[in-house]
Amino acid sequence: MPELFSAGFLSALLAIVLIDLVLAGDNALIIGLVARNLPKNTQRKVIFWGTFGAIAVRALMAVLVVYILDVPGFMLAGGLALIWIARKLLAPNENAASPHANPAAAASFGAALRTIVVADAVMGIDNVLAIGGAASGSIVLIVLGLAISVPIIVWGSHLVIRLVERLPSVILLGGAVLAWTGYSMIVREPLLQPWLTAHPPARFVIAVLVFSISLAPWWTERLSPKMQPLVVLLPALLVWLLAFEIADPHLERMGGLFATEVGSYLVEAVRWLGWMPLAAGFLWLREQRPHRAARG
Amino acid sequence: MLLVHRSRRAANSVRTVSPGGELFVASVVVAMLLAAFGDAVDPAWLGEAGLEFALFDFGGELSLLGMHHWHLLQYLMAGAVIAGGIAAFKACTGRVFRPLHPAPRRAVDKVPIELRPKSS
Repeated sequence: MPELFSAGFLSALLAIVLIDLVLAGDNALIIGLVARNLPKNTQRKVIFWGTFGAIAVRALMAVLVVYILDVPGFMLAGGLALIWIARKLLAPNENAASPHANPAAAASFGAALRTIVVADAVMGIDNVLAIGGAASGSIVLIVLGLAISVPIIVWGSHLVIRLVERLPSVILLGGAVLAWTGYSMIVREPLLQPWLTAHPPARFVIAVLVFSISLAPWWTERLSPKMQPLVVLLPALLVWLLAFEIADPHLERMGGLFATEVGSYLVEAVRWLGWMPLAAGFLWLREQRPHRAARG
Repeated sequence: MLLVHRSRRAANSVRTVSPGGELFVASVVVAMLLAAFGDAVDPAWLGEAGLEFALFDFGGELSLLGMHHWHLLQYLMAGAVIAGGIAAFKACTGRVFRPLHPAPRRAVDKVPIELRPKSS
């Protein structure tokens, strides 16, 4: 854990607050929709206890995630999930501001409270996973991050909306921070440590892969239609190269042709040239799609 | 539903972002990728290639190999410096070199050369 109030500590806190803001669920909307049919007096109680319950569940989940991430394999899974979360955050949404699934209005105080807490828990899974990764195992950081961002989200949601309305680049920055957190989690995975120590260049390949997939909705927007296949081809090529890097020692151990000099030359040839026919096939299929659609 | 998706502009941030904001975030991403590169390269390999001075003997913490110890605040500052540098470079070159705009492809005066009879 970084020293209290050092640059590392403040940076991690900033990352947590930024992630909290961009991944915050619309609690106020959920509470309003659930409590709309209740009597005025009960509505006030639902708003208070619903907010309290949502914060308590969020804090509990965040602390639990820190312990879960210590289990081998979960850091890698969390990092991969963050790539998907960043992608989802950046993907353009034309139907914004019109929620698809409105929760039904609750008939009683208990039902309303249950709906609010469950909805917050479901909406907050991505959030707690991301802040768990950014906190690097520090409960103090998580609690401080929540203490700063939850009041902003609950009582100042209009300020958050005004901020992102004025500066949409905050969302892009949030996506970049999520991608960076995902990359850090993947390279911190204990199961991968021995392999990454033996193959240092793989770290850079993983970083480019993580950023190219996470930020794909952003750079897809800037590419001309002719260059659009790069969105698939670049990550696929990096995965191809990584797969060969992983498989190389296992192939040698298999013996037979792979243990000979000719075999190793063949493997190298497939590694560096084998992706070309696959890429050409992909491009050909892509070209054929409009023709087939026109015929069909 | 995400809170930020209450704003249509924020929900389509990849389309509505300002050029300056986009340049800043892109610069932060470049700084992060440089840090990952510094984390991946072997200093001994750089020394053998004679790139020591260019890449990591550049001044302690500002070196490429030191970047993977950086924090988010440092990446943000580096992004601001890179973006500011690019913007300043663009402004300076814009003053020195006037950009050439091609004439419309099918325009009659596509080649802007006028042949005049020689004055004797």
